[in-house]
Amino acid sequence: MTVQTERPPSGPADVRKADDGGAGRPKPTAASRAGAFAPYLLLLPACAATVLLLGWPLLKDLLLSFQNLNMAQLIQHVTEWNGIENYEETLTSEQFWRVTLRSILFTAANVVLIMIGGTLIGLLLARLGRRMRFTLLIGLVLAWAMPVVAATTVYQWLFAQRFGVVNWVLDKLGWHSMADYSWTSSQMSTFFVVTVLIVWMSIPFVAINLYAATTTIPNELYEAASLDGAGVWRSFTTVTMPFLRPFLYATTFLEIIWVFKAFVQVYTFNEGGPDRLTEILPVYAYVEGVGNQHYGMGAAIAVLTILILLGLTSYYLRIVLKQEEDEL
Amino acid sequence: MKRSLFGRVWPNATAVVLFIGLVFPVYWMFSTSLKPRGDILAENPVWFPTDITFEHFRTATGADHFWTYVTNSLTVTVLAVVFSLIIALAGSFALARMRFKGRRGFIIGFMLAQMAPWEVMVIAMYMIVRDASMLNSLVPLTLFYMMMILPFTILTLRGFVAAVPKELEESAMVDGCTRVQAFRRVILPLLAPGLMSTSLFGFITAWNEFALVLVLNKDAEAKTLPLWLSSFQTQFGDDWGATMAASSLFAIPILILFVFLQRKAVSGLTAGAVKG
Amino acid sequence: MKRKLIAAIGIAGMMVSVAACGGDSDDGGKKAGADGYAGETLTVWVMDGSSPDQWQKDVAAEFESKTKAKVKFEVQTWNGIQQKLTTALSEENPPDVFEIGNTQTPAYAKTGGLADLADLKSTLGQDWSESLNESAVFDGKQYAAPWFVVNRVVVYNKKVWADAGIKDTPKTRDEFYDDLKTIGEKTDAEPIYLPGQNWYHFVGLAIGEGAELVKKDGDKYVSNLADPKVAAAMETYQKFQSLSKAPKDKDEATPQQGEVFAKGNVAAFIGMGWEAGIAIEANPAIEKDLGYFTIPGETADKPEGVFLGGSNLAVAAGSKKQDLAKEFLKIALSDKNEGALAKANGVIPNKDALQSNLKGNAAAEAAAPAAAGGGTTPLIPEWAAVENPPNPVKTYMTAVLNGKSPAEAAEQVEEEFNKRLSQEQ
Repeated sequence: MTVQTERPPSGPADVRKADDGGAGRPKPTAASRAGAFAPYLLLLPACAATVLLLGWPLLKDLLLSFQNLNMAQLIQHVTEWNGIENYEETLTSEQFWRVTLRSILFTAANVVLIMIGGTLIGLLLARLGRRMRFTLLIGLVLAWAMPVVAATTVYQWLFAQRFGVVNWVLDKLGWHSMADYSWTSSQMSTFFVVTVLIVWMSIPFVAINLYAATTTIPNELYEAASLDGAGVWRSFTTVTMPFLRPFLYATTFLEIIWVFKAFVQVYTFNEGGPDRLTEILPVYAYVEGVGNQHYGMGAAIAVLTILILLGLTSYYLRIVLKQEEDEL
Repeated sequence: MKRSLFGRVWPNATAVVLFIGLVFPVYWMFSTSLKPRGDILAENPVWFPTDITFEHFRTATGADHFWTYVTNSLTVTVLAVVFSLIIALAGSFALARMRFKGRRGFIIGFMLAQMAPWEVMVIAMYMIVRDASMLNSLVPLTLFYMMMILPFTILTLRGFVAAVPKELEESAMVDGCTRVQAFRRVILPLLAPGLMSTSLFGFITAWNEFALVLVLNKDAEAKTLPLWLSSFQTQFGDDWGATMAASSLFAIPILILFVFLQRKAVSGLTAGAVKG
Repeated sequence: MKRKLIAAIGIAGMMVSVAACGGDSDDGGKKAGADGYAGETLTVWVMDGSSPDQWQKDVAAEFESKTKAKVKFEVQTWNGIQQKLTTALSEENPPDVFEIGNTQTPAYAKTGGLADLADLKSTLGQDWSESLNESAVFDGKQYAAPWFVVNRVVVYNKKVWADAGIKDTPKTRDEFYDDLKTIGEKTDAEPIYLPGQNWYHFVGLAIGEGAELVKKDGDKYVSNLADPKVAAAMETYQKFQSLSKAPKDKDEATPQQGEVFAKGNVAAFIGMGWEAGIAIEANPAIEKDLGYFTIPGETADKPEGVFLGGSNLAVAAGSKKQDLAKEFLKIALSDKNEGALAKANGVIPNKDALQSNLKGNAAAEAAAPAAAGGGTTPLIPEWAAVENPPNPVKTYMTAVLNGKSPAEAAEQVEEEFNKRLSQEQ
């Protein structure tokens, strides 16, 4: 962890200068008192943007979630409060809970695959020779750089029922029933393709960062470990892993968020079909709200989606909370 | 360190397999876009296009308003990234270098902001923009895209700022620089890789955004490329050549950016990621 | 809450005053005579494929010379149109005139988004045919102007049929099936391209069986898919679908069946006359082999039931150019232009007197015999929600085609179907 050392209040008196204007400092000068506001001033634009551009839509969404808002109300700009009806209907519907469970399982499966795959590839990168490493890095960067809308379209073509290259290969490998297989026809096959797509897109971020992280591990640590008689596995568990742990936490956190919100991939590939069986929460909120023109209901599902995402990431947020506490 | 033959071969073999798996979709996109129709819908795939045609690219770029979409997408994306970098730089400097009450709160706040599932809030955003009479404009799009990437940018830049040795800044100030000057002359250049890597993420996010622009901007003059790309499929049905040409055109700017920025970006990214 | 209410009243007040301004300027325009529209542009949404480019050009030219205003046609796709239309109607500048599906019209009429066209009905629409106008009227008020309806026919490739040694077009359902089977055996063409979710054709089959998709349960509408008559329609559909290699979980627009047909390796598809135009555009060489025939029914004397899909033209209630919009409708729906549309697209025009335009249009002549026995989905405001993706009727079809019994499939989608029918308005 980076250590946040304290800096003596020296240097020219600048408004932005004094970063240490905590209470209880001896003899607070006018300059440093003004400086106490510096961090807040610096954060002001970011906070203002967040409140205005995120806080406001969130608040609006929350308000909408207590309304009966359908085609007529939207067109005529009518506000029709209906209390907690939307929540009641959502929370008592079996479908919502099914979708929630599905979302969690889907996220878990993808994140596990991404983290394991990404970590292994990252460690592999560290072992490769220069030229090979460069080649693999190029491959990773290309997959990483593919914009999601384009990538989803490409996967539709790869897995197309007729003339799709995947079906052709499977057929040639002797799996003849796959020659004209429709990947959008069942829940599992749809999830399979979406998972392949998401894992393919996400692994490079993990792998490249992990590789970069391993290069920063001081060699002395390994030397010390081997002096202690540690083998490859021991030095991996005692040196590499502890060093990478914070990184792994942070990346897992990001991946959970990204996979959980994987709206474009799921919706573009099969619109949550067949038979609504591949709807994950964001898709469900969209289909119920925008698709069914039941906008108040959609807003309520959105609020619940946010709460569930908070729940999923709360563990990590607690770690950060504690860690920042330690630093202060 | 000596390794057995097997020990030397398997990493390379794995790397080759991985390379093919990673690159193939990208390759297939480009190669399909260059093949004549007959080769695309062939019983046996044509692995290497021999008979190259630019017909599909003509179809794709010939779509109505194509260049308007390109201009719109570039404007919105670049502005969103630049604004968020400026705002985030100030914020991240405070978070990384200063000690003040509520710092932890701010960090958690930005982490929460990062989790916002924008796609599900589209209607709320639509109603705000509609009631402000700002539909079919690039301004709200730019602002919202900036917000979508701002939390990540702040949190990542904070790691980069923290990684710049404080002594450098101090010595600059000893040499008579003001804090602002020290920041501009010493820290900023050192932050370049960080700025690049974060801007890459921002660029991708804003370049890809689809759900919001779909409801906000119905006028062709105010649409962006993702809408164009998705409309392609309904319009052209199973014309995979044109669809892949369109996807290629959409992906090229990002691919170019990555190739240029990748090395610097990656080297610095760990700093950002590790400092969670 | 109170403050919210006050704000709402304030906004409402503002809207009234804004609307008043709009009214004033309109009146001013009227007083100034026809030239008063100069400089204005009317936005018109039309659906993909429903009106030919030439028709749009002619109408635009006539409109511009008469009113001195301009007209801008914007082509929309059916996919996602309801969401787009709803939001657009709530905006400050909605499309002034728009095409709207006949089965979707009652729902939008109920939302208050459509302007009342009573005066147009009394001047222009005296002789609009009753059956077409039905969908445009809601609660006794005229919310849209009927434009056209069209029913599906069999579009076939004469060359493939000749290759299989078939001389006459089939007259009964069994003959049709046998012919397709023969084609499958004797040629390497796909006998029919029938994707699993061509639900308009399925609705037609159900109408032919005398089935209703919904029934009344107290004061609510509920699913009637479990009706054995619906199952019978689905079995017919399944029988023909089994001859096709088309995907079971896609509709006829993804990909456009006309484009698939254009490749020349498909013997027939069930579609609207203008879909043949898609095929010709994709492959001009196919034109000489194109033919049409009426979808054969169970017996030779009665053609298959068909869905009378169609469109109405409506004016947005929020449009600030009400008068200009009506001027446009008068021109677009004049006998001349309505007749031209019928002629070009082979669709049934909104007046019986204009039917003569269909003479010589092969597709229309094939469609005509079935039209009398045609019908629509229930013309109730609750229906539009059913058509939102994922449409439970489509889900039902795919489920049966993938091996479920019609009864099981009906049970599977019943909950979703009923939920949409009872959705709060």
